[in-house]
Amino acid sequence: MATIRTRSRGSEMLLHLTAYLTILVALILTLFPVYWIAVNSFKYDIDIFAVPPEWLPRNPTLKHYHEAFVQRPFLRYALNSLLVAVGTTIISVGFGTMAGYALARFSYPWQWRKQISFWILSTRMMPPIVSIIPLYLFFNSFDMLNTKSALIIAYTAFNLPFATWMMKSYFQDLPVELEEAAIVDGDTQWGAFLHVALPLARPGLAATAIFCLIISWNEFLLSLIITLTEQSQTLPIGIAGRVTQYKTYWGEISAAGFMACVPIVIFAFIVQKHLVRGLSLGAVKG
Amino acid sequence: MLRPDKGMPAASPRPGGVLEHWTERHLRYLMLAPTMIVLLALTIFPSFYMFYAAVHRISPNPDLPWEFVGSGNFARLLTDAQFHVALRNTAVFTIVAVTFEFLLGLGLALLLDRFIRRLTFLKTVLMIPMMLPPIAVAITWKIIYEPQFGVLNEIMFRLGLPLQAWAGDVNLAMFSIIVADVWQWTPFIFLLMLAGLASLPIEPYEAAALDGASSWRQFWDLTLPFLKPVIAIAVLLRVMDALRLFDLVFILTGGGPADRTKVLSLYIYQVAYRFADPGYAAAISLFVLFVTIVLSTWFMKRMRLAE
Repeated sequence: MATIRTRSRGSEMLLHLTAYLTILVALILTLFPVYWIAVNSFKYDIDIFAVPPEWLPRNPTLKHYHEAFVQRPFLRYALNSLLVAVGTTIISVGFGTMAGYALARFSYPWQWRKQISFWILSTRMMPPIVSIIPLYLFFNSFDMLNTKSALIIAYTAFNLPFATWMMKSYFQDLPVELEEAAIVDGDTQWGAFLHVALPLARPGLAATAIFCLIISWNEFLLSLIITLTEQSQTLPIGIAGRVTQYKTYWGEISAAGFMACVPIVIFAFIVQKHLVRGLSLGAVKG
Repeated sequence: MLRPDKGMPAASPRPGGVLEHWTERHLRYLMLAPTMIVLLALTIFPSFYMFYAAVHRISPNPDLPWEFVGSGNFARLLTDAQFHVALRNTAVFTIVAVTFEFLLGLGLALLLDRFIRRLTFLKTVLMIPMMLPPIAVAITWKIIYEPQFGVLNEIMFRLGLPLQAWAGDVNLAMFSIIVADVWQWTPFIFLLMLAGLASLPIEPYEAAALDGASSWRQFWDLTLPFLKPVIAIAVLLRVMDALRLFDLVFILTGGGPADRTKVLSLYIYQVAYRFADPGYAAAISLFVLFVTIVLSTWFMKRMRLAE
């Protein structure tokens, strides 16, 4: 900012110092909990309970990973999470891309474009707890409780509005002239979408897909209601299931929790350029 | 960019089947249709179904018929003390957590904007908390808050302060939930505020500096008004998320101790499954839905988000 240039050198140095110290403190506060769950997952139970805590495991072990992923069905939970996330993402991004394109490019009578955009956005605002009662009764009557398809259907309700808004915002950023040129050259509107707009929107498409994967991978409440056994339960449900009234399996949940975080951290770095847009539903272009 | 009046130019006539012509003519509706149908089926239908459920008493036994009770379930909302507790807890959590996240996030963005703008890697590291599965965040904080061997009590001990039960303490439980939420979501506000600051125009600040306006005046008269749309979006999304808080409470406190952290989502869950009363749960859900719609519509209309 312009004012800063008029400040004295002394206060400028103080500002630098404060800023870098703040960054350091923020980094420590951000990373410590993640570090702590990772470290605990590599400790024997007795070392997890140690007072004062062991900041570094003196006796590292993979015991809890063996417990969680070999003896208990956490591999199965992770696979379920993955399948449901991929299924949801394919449907949401597929339908959402078409709807996003339509809302970005076409005109509709009676201000439909505005109304529909607004309506789609408001479905995203709906709290999941609100829809669990009807969804539960609905899946129950179709004998679909405890299936991965039921989870995919439920997750689509929350990912589709997101994907539509994201893709709408990416398509709006593309120049319409290229598609117009393709149509003048004899291509159809559908062809212009498929051969011109879609390839150009590829980075946005990838980012949207990764966000959908993250949202589904992290989801807890709907899965808690819909799934009952390890046939369809997802990773967060598996983790929560090891926090019981009588005993919490600290090592096991740390191992599984840390493993649930790893793909997300990788994804975060892949989509870092799209974070702002993804987290604001395309409303803020970062 | 958008040409709402003209739309795209019509495709030039060319040989093709009747079907192809029809598809091309109605493409704008056909491309929108799958999304509209899915969303109608998954949001509008459940809303009506929920209303239908809310005027009935539903037995846990699926073979028994639903008993019509009219507005009975809604009348219960007025006298149900547990519901009022949950409502109050949700309001307290939403207001306190979002206020802290906003002030911290905005403050950090203003302080660090100049220094962190090019440090993309560092910025992404700071964003990690909000991407993590809420359940993983919840168990992480559960380990930190653990009264016997948790890190937080170790720090209290070293500082010579009294040890606490944190999430298990009647007076600190809500505070513990809020801290975990602030840890996870302050980066969100921070990130959006940085994006807002990066898009500020330079000229007004140069003019203000020439006029000798203080940095404080510049912040109030220029930065804040420019940031207003981004602030609105950030706060709206945070409030909507705070209203649906579930995972943290489910793992850290289960709504206790003494109902101090029982929030609406958790209460609906308990009514529907533990107390096996889906009809009444549907009535509470409708109330939450109503509040959400009123809040978000007011917010979005005001901020013209749907443009």
